Amino acid sequence: MIFINIIFGKFVLFLIRVFSLGDGSTWPGHILLKLNKNFVKDLLKMNKQLNCVLIVGTNGKTTTSSLIDHILKKLGKKCFRNNEGANLLNGIASAFLKNATLTGRLEYDYALFEVDEFNLPFVLQQITPSAIIVLNLFRDQLDRYGEVNEIHNRWLKAFKQLTPNTQIFTNGDDPYLYYLVKDLDCRKNYFGVDIGKMKRTDLPHDIDFSYCPTCFHPLQFQKISFSHLGKYLCENCGISSPKVEDFADRSLKYPLEGLYNIYNVNAALLFIENEVTPIKNKDLNYLLSGFMPIFGRQEAIIYRERKVFLHLVKNPVGFNQTLETLFKTKIRSNKNFLILLNDRIPDGRDISWIWDVDFDRLLLTAKYISIGGDRAFEMYLRLKYETVLLPIDKVRRIKLKVYRSAEEAVAKSIMNLKQNEPLFVLATYSAMLEVRKILVGNKTK
Amino acid sequence: MNLKIGWLYPDLMSTYGDRGNVIALLYRARSRGIGATVITISVADSVDKINRADLFFMGGAQDLQQEIVAKDLRAEKGIFLKKAIERGIPGLYICGAFQFLGKYYKTSEGKILEGLDIFDLYTQSGQEKEKRLVGDMVFNPFFAPDKRFVGFENHNGRTYLGKGTQPFGKILKGFGNNGKDGTEGMVYKNSIGSYSHGPLLPKNPELTDWLVQKALQLKYKRKIKLKNLDTKYEDLARKTVIKKLID
Repeated sequence: MIFINIIFGKFVLFLIRVFSLGDGSTWPGHILLKLNKNFVKDLLKMNKQLNCVLIVGTNGKTTTSSLIDHILKKLGKKCFRNNEGANLLNGIASAFLKNATLTGRLEYDYALFEVDEFNLPFVLQQITPSAIIVLNLFRDQLDRYGEVNEIHNRWLKAFKQLTPNTQIFTNGDDPYLYYLVKDLDCRKNYFGVDIGKMKRTDLPHDIDFSYCPTCFHPLQFQKISFSHLGKYLCENCGISSPKVEDFADRSLKYPLEGLYNIYNVNAALLFIENEVTPIKNKDLNYLLSGFMPIFGRQEAIIYRERKVFLHLVKNPVGFNQTLETLFKTKIRSNKNFLILLNDRIPDGRDISWIWDVDFDRLLLTAKYISIGGDRAFEMYLRLKYETVLLPIDKVRRIKLKVYRSAEEAVAKSIMNLKQNEPLFVLATYSAMLEVRKILVGNKTK
Repeated sequence: MNLKIGWLYPDLMSTYGDRGNVIALLYRARSRGIGATVITISVADSVDKINRADLFFMGGAQDLQQEIVAKDLRAEKGIFLKKAIERGIPGLYICGAFQFLGKYYKTSEGKILEGLDIFDLYTQSGQEKEKRLVGDMVFNPFFAPDKRFVGFENHNGRTYLGKGTQPFGKILKGFGNNGKDGTEGMVYKNSIGSYSHGPLLPKNPELTDWLVQKALQLKYKRKIKLKNLDTKYEDLARKTVIKKLID
């Protein structure tokens, strides 16, 4: 049965390639699962040596998966991954199909899968992973994923089925993720950041909930890194932050900017140490060296002799953290921004989330802000209305401009740049693809 | 003149960019020289804060958060909120807040969750096979039937208004209260309930002004005319949605 599945699937893949019908990252798997809904389960029965690793979370899946992939290769391990965005069961089945031999052998040590938040329970019915990395859970595309609590409850239910064969890696600075795993039978590992890196004491606006997950009393946060991540305690029931691992203590030079990336790197390293091999302090930097930011995540492109940095933004926490990181970069003044907001299916059709992003500092520090995308006027309103919260003498200096097309927005923002001034692009998913097409001439990664 | 905006449960009832409504109220008041400020009212706060507000805003929430709010409102604050609404204090209540001002919410398991019984309406959770009502929406508001307002809705509850009640709007595109009778939201005295987030006020400045004007008139006990503000970009933002859905 499985051999027929594979031969058929590979044939579909072959046709897709020959006729340039896409990259074959979802369709072959989709068709295969129609033929045999247990294709993944059956294939794994024949490949017991393969360690499957699932990576879930609102933000950072692709970065963390890339980091682990990078380190595993340096350690001489063989691994494969699903394509970014192909994170439903059909994408995972497609990845298996691509990497299996005709006899159904998977000659790899590790399979890394980014998994869609909503679909994690379905994936767990097919795969018993050796590890699950749970990065974070924030509000994201409510029209598609449903509300955060719903995802939380789905995960809670799915995790109850896990056995000690699975190790869990999660963010101990997140009270809700800690609550989700703390009583499970499997081995739990917590990553986080040292309290010294947490700069906030007040609750930010982009949190969904700040009450105790056990008894619903307000949680006390001693310090906050961002959103609802921090050192917490419930004075009513006593639940409090577990001890977390932060590799910064081990003189690590982080390859990516931003506090959110420190979490991602710590997650990747904690996984390697506990699931693959212990790492000596002196090897940490070697293992991460050469890691390049992936598509649209702090990616730098040279265009008409100007440097353009691309940042994907898709939800309030991600947008806030991207801005936060940009404010801290070496280029301190004269920052030019281009914000592109689309509301197509990959972006989420509901754009109300932009009102949960904090734009005050952007407005006060930017030299020029250009705006484009399908919902450019709404983005303009967002920034215009924010000015009511700013000191009146600062407001006059703000330079905002809306463009009707992405091409025009990119062209004009580049024209506005002086020599040596970079452009920071903040774009939703489909807008990011458009910008890349303009800048590098193709839509693919 | 000054205006105190009572923002009810910002830490719990704020799921869909609801803050935008509060920022819009501040913007359109302050741009006219009206000293507008925000009073946040949540679980830990005393009821006095409710009595101090000239205008209310309350957003949508998830079930768990809503339960915490329901407990708090039923204890004491609800009585004062009801009195304020009856007195004509204007307010905007979105999604979960709108449902909560009604008589009850019936869950899919048939459980009845009692509301504050201020609006003559009830809400029934969507049945298992029924879809959530999600998408952009366009409607004519009751106070300016020739205007087209836009928003975004995302709700599972189906709300039915009592006989003789005034809907907030008439649906042109989208679902509104229940996807069947073409009504959107409800008006009672100067309070407006709506399923439209998006958020509603920044793109529909006529409603922002309606709320501000009602609040000031009640507070200063005289007719108040607000001076016109430029709405070029508000109109363009609105047109984008209307063009996508209708024209």
